[in-house]
Amino acid sequence: MTATTLTAQAPEPAKAGGPTAESGPPKPSLGSRLASIAASGAVRVVLVVLALVWLLPTAGLFVSSFRTPRDIASSGWWEALTDPGQWTFANYDALLSNDTFTGSLWTTIAITVPSTLLVIVLGAAAGYAFAWLDFPGRDYWFLLVVALLVVPVQMALLPVARLFNTLGIFETTLGVVIFHSAYGLPFAIFLLRNFFAEIPRELLEAARLDGAGELRLFTRVVLPLGGPAIAALGIFQFMWVWNDMLVALIFADAGSPPMTVALQQEMRQFGSNFDVLAPGAFLTMLIPLAIFFAFQRQFVAGVMSGAVK
Amino acid sequence: MLTALTACGDDGDENRADREPTIELPDLSGQNLEVAAVWTGAERDNFLRVMDEFEARTGASVSYVPSGDNVSQFVGSKIEGGAPPDIVMVPQPGVLREFAQNGWIPPVGDLVQEQLDANYTPGWQAVGQHEGEQYGVYVKVANKSLVWYSSTAFDYAGVSAPADWDTFVDTAWTVWESGTTPVSVAGGDGWTLTDWFENIYLSQAGTEAYDQLIAHEIPWTDQTVTDALTTLGELFGHNQLLANGNGGSLQTDFPTSVTQTFINLEVPDAAMVFEADFVGSVITDSTDAVIGEDALVFPFPAVGAGDPPVVSAGDAAVAVAPNGEASEAQEAMLAFLASTDAAWIWAEGGGMVSPNRSLDLAAYPNDVQRGIADALISAGDDFRFDLSDQTPAAFGGTTGQGMWQGLQNFLRNPDDVQGAQEYLESQAVSAYGE
Amino acid sequence: MASGKAVIRARPWAVASFLLPALLLLGALVLYPIGYSVWRSFFDASGDDFVGLDNFAEIFANESTRTALRNNLIWIILAPTVATALGLIFAVLTERLRWATAFKLLVFMPMAVSMLASGIIFRLVYEQNPERGLANAVMTTVHDTFAGSSSWPDAEPRPGGSLSAQDDGSYLLDGTVSAGTPVLLPLVAVPQPELADAEPAATAASDPGQVTGTVWMDFTRGGGGTRDAIDADERALAGVTVQAVRDGDVVAEADTAADGTFTLPAEDADGAQLRLAASSFTPPYNGASWLGPELITPAIIGAYVWMWAGFAMVLIAAGLASVPRETLEAARVDGANEWQVFRRITVPLLAPILAVVTVTLMINVLKIFDLVYIIAPSSSQADANVLALQLYISSFGAEPDQGLGSAIAVLLLLLVVPVIIFNLRRLRRENQR
Repeated sequence: MTATTLTAQAPEPAKAGGPTAESGPPKPSLGSRLASIAASGAVRVVLVVLALVWLLPTAGLFVSSFRTPRDIASSGWWEALTDPGQWTFANYDALLSNDTFTGSLWTTIAITVPSTLLVIVLGAAAGYAFAWLDFPGRDYWFLLVVALLVVPVQMALLPVARLFNTLGIFETTLGVVIFHSAYGLPFAIFLLRNFFAEIPRELLEAARLDGAGELRLFTRVVLPLGGPAIAALGIFQFMWVWNDMLVALIFADAGSPPMTVALQQEMRQFGSNFDVLAPGAFLTMLIPLAIFFAFQRQFVAGVMSGAVK
Repeated sequence: MLTALTACGDDGDENRADREPTIELPDLSGQNLEVAAVWTGAERDNFLRVMDEFEARTGASVSYVPSGDNVSQFVGSKIEGGAPPDIVMVPQPGVLREFAQNGWIPPVGDLVQEQLDANYTPGWQAVGQHEGEQYGVYVKVANKSLVWYSSTAFDYAGVSAPADWDTFVDTAWTVWESGTTPVSVAGGDGWTLTDWFENIYLSQAGTEAYDQLIAHEIPWTDQTVTDALTTLGELFGHNQLLANGNGGSLQTDFPTSVTQTFINLEVPDAAMVFEADFVGSVITDSTDAVIGEDALVFPFPAVGAGDPPVVSAGDAAVAVAPNGEASEAQEAMLAFLASTDAAWIWAEGGGMVSPNRSLDLAAYPNDVQRGIADALISAGDDFRFDLSDQTPAAFGGTTGQGMWQGLQNFLRNPDDVQGAQEYLESQAVSAYGE
Repeated sequence: MASGKAVIRARPWAVASFLLPALLLLGALVLYPIGYSVWRSFFDASGDDFVGLDNFAEIFANESTRTALRNNLIWIILAPTVATALGLIFAVLTERLRWATAFKLLVFMPMAVSMLASGIIFRLVYEQNPERGLANAVMTTVHDTFAGSSSWPDAEPRPGGSLSAQDDGSYLLDGTVSAGTPVLLPLVAVPQPELADAEPAATAASDPGQVTGTVWMDFTRGGGGTRDAIDADERALAGVTVQAVRDGDVVAEADTAADGTFTLPAEDADGAQLRLAASSFTPPYNGASWLGPELITPAIIGAYVWMWAGFAMVLIAAGLASVPRETLEAARVDGANEWQVFRRITVPLLAPILAVVTVTLMINVLKIFDLVYIIAPSSSQADANVLALQLYISSFGAEPDQGLGSAIAVLLLLLVVPVIIFNLRRLRRENQR
């Protein structure tokens, strides 16, 4: 599930450049020449067109979600831009008063929050052990974890479905949480182990001298210092699980599925009922987009360190 | 359907007070029943009104869970988990038989049988049976032999509802000449194509051949199938008769096939669209067309010398009791669902047709709905259940294979009847495990 | 990255309690499934009979899995390349642009959106009807700006009538015409509302010096008209180009008047064939069938590129920031132009990062499922099939064959093995440093 080639290094979010952060000091020579190209009208026009290409699909969903089924069926969403009378909250009203949909929102939260926390706790504990604790075959175990980074999640669908069936947790929220946690772990361990390994040895030794045990070292020294990496991990795990459809399609309770599956069911049953799909899809996007805009830096840092599903 | 619901809610209550109860229900205070069905939205809300009445009359409390599309998988996993729903609505006869075979559902008791004998024809009882035992009660059925048409388009062309297939094809050509594309086909959804085929086949080849084809006792390369496809080709074989042509039809999903017929009342994109009574709810939900004025309906025309076909589908209520007997509450619920009392409340909400022959047609909220119910009831036991629903799911209900794909291939290339038949037969052989 | 040195001595039970929960979970849910899938892939659908490598042979024999393989190949080649190329272009173009931040944010944003939501977004974009689908609305607008629209796009001759449609879209009248006998050119299938403003059709005057005739909609609104005769309420089709053709050459040409009549000089047209020019009936351009069987895979790849070009852009932009400026300057001093600098210096310097981006995307693309499942309408799903989708259908579909499903899973795993080896080697190299 966590598919990645290992890129450069452990993330250092504080330093990471992102869309918002100008990376590095100004380099006038290339900069000025490229700037002169960029300044040329043609490039600007191209970029504006490209920006539109990237913006319009989402805008279409957004606008459609405020149109009645009749308007959606009879004309394109852009017609609503010149006809404010078409805008209505009716789709959202209907959706939010629909128990199935609000129920699926809760299911999504009930899946996402525990699997994020579980991956952080288990990943940090194992990452700490790999970074600092002594045990036989340590490096080989870590290689194994790294090897698992790119194992396709599809591999596990059938065997785990059988396993969960035996355990009685097939089609339960618990099963989905466990599945997502397992497939978030290789990346979590890899990321946190590398980050924890950068902690100055002196800090740990000083704490050790003060009589701190392994647990105390972990909770008082390693975890607080690991804050930035843990934040990046949490953001990604949260988004992956929130956005997942495949795992939920198979492992979630069909009676109270998370939002992605609930929407997918709408799609298969009735075809193009965009008055449900558009607001539903937009609502599912809200949280990931909010996180994206609020934590751009961590997001970029995470992507740079190989956080790709 | 939403509008139908709000329109008649209050009147219904008054009527109900006037009616004599037709069934005595036991006191079930303190008991809980869980009912699972595929319905969502307005369909579910309408059903919940029936449940409210049950709660009021028995004191039991009923909860509703959506089962999702795959009812069989849903119930299977729930039984495995140890907490199956008490009542499940199964959408296919094959699923009912599968449940009975697995021992998940017990045969119905006397209370239910009493209601069935009073209100259901032998044919409608039989579809809820397995090996001679009654397991389920068909509560809600769809009449899949309807052609909906735009009154505007028919006015432009000066034509009226055709009674037989040849007139139907002539009508289509006249409508085309008048400037409206005659037929909207939802080729993107394979199941609508199976319904086209089934109606023609049932009418042309007769009930006996229909039943044999279901059992795959006659091959898909049979002459009867050739005839049915050739007949269908009289329509599908002419690009200009289909809205957006053959290629465009393959990308038209079911709701779009309805909306493109009725969304533009001045210049309809198509004059006719074939499908079941639930087309009505798409019309009211997504267009401004008024059923009975702008949107009218005629029964699927008789083909050749045959009778007009009545193909139906429906949901059967069954009591889930993997360990033997149904509880008193489950029995009471099934009996209630088989009663005219329940059918009345349900029918007046709109969007449903009951197979209950004792139900006064006055219960239906409008003439179109009444007409659809009338056609179904007066067919007596000559109706047939959806053919594709009774074949293995891999053949009759799966995207990209079997009947869906075979008929989509035919719609893409309607001249190649033989190729379509060979594909269908090869798919049937593998799906029936022969 | 040094390991094995900075180590804290810890009690075994403490190590175990830190490590075991994670390792057990990985063992049960990642390692065990690999073993199970490999084992299961050697058995048939029922799971009872050992079939050796038959399931793998089936992948290459079965039509739907073959389509899936072919599409996966298209995906793996096309999607990462296009996304990386676009990412490179974006990164270079925006490097010193003032509103680059906003642009990058916009392009990067789709990464936060689920495949499901993207699928729904692109279902709206790819809708066939240009009145509703954005892609075709743009295409038809552009097209119609350059090509005019015809006057009666829907008008057609009756099948079996005196006019017959030609391959080039024109309608040819049987036989030849002679001056003095007015010709009837009946057409049908024009939508009634389009005729609201049309004049009643008139019978053309008979004139021995001219070839005359009428082009009209031979259908009386509400029915009741006579075929091939101008009935009282039937409407004229004005502005249709009527051509007299002799030996394939147009010898005379006229447009119909408001009452549908036309006149051609007898000296040219007498004895010629009459043809209604195709330009009068060109059907409106409706854009492309994005979701049809031919374009479905490229269309879904388009949606994927929309989601992932931002990822490529961000990584490449970071790489670009670390390109040494001196090298570039030196090249410029030597007289290289910007394109040469880009091609000879920037791209080679970025090669490692471009490779990382491409390989990451390849792995990602290998497992593509949601987008295909959501965007492809059921009639094109078979044409859009990919391995991950086929695996889902084979394992959990209506007629499951878990042996085949497991074989596909094993195939997917085999395809990422080179990347696993690459990762491990790289890690060991870093550890040795």
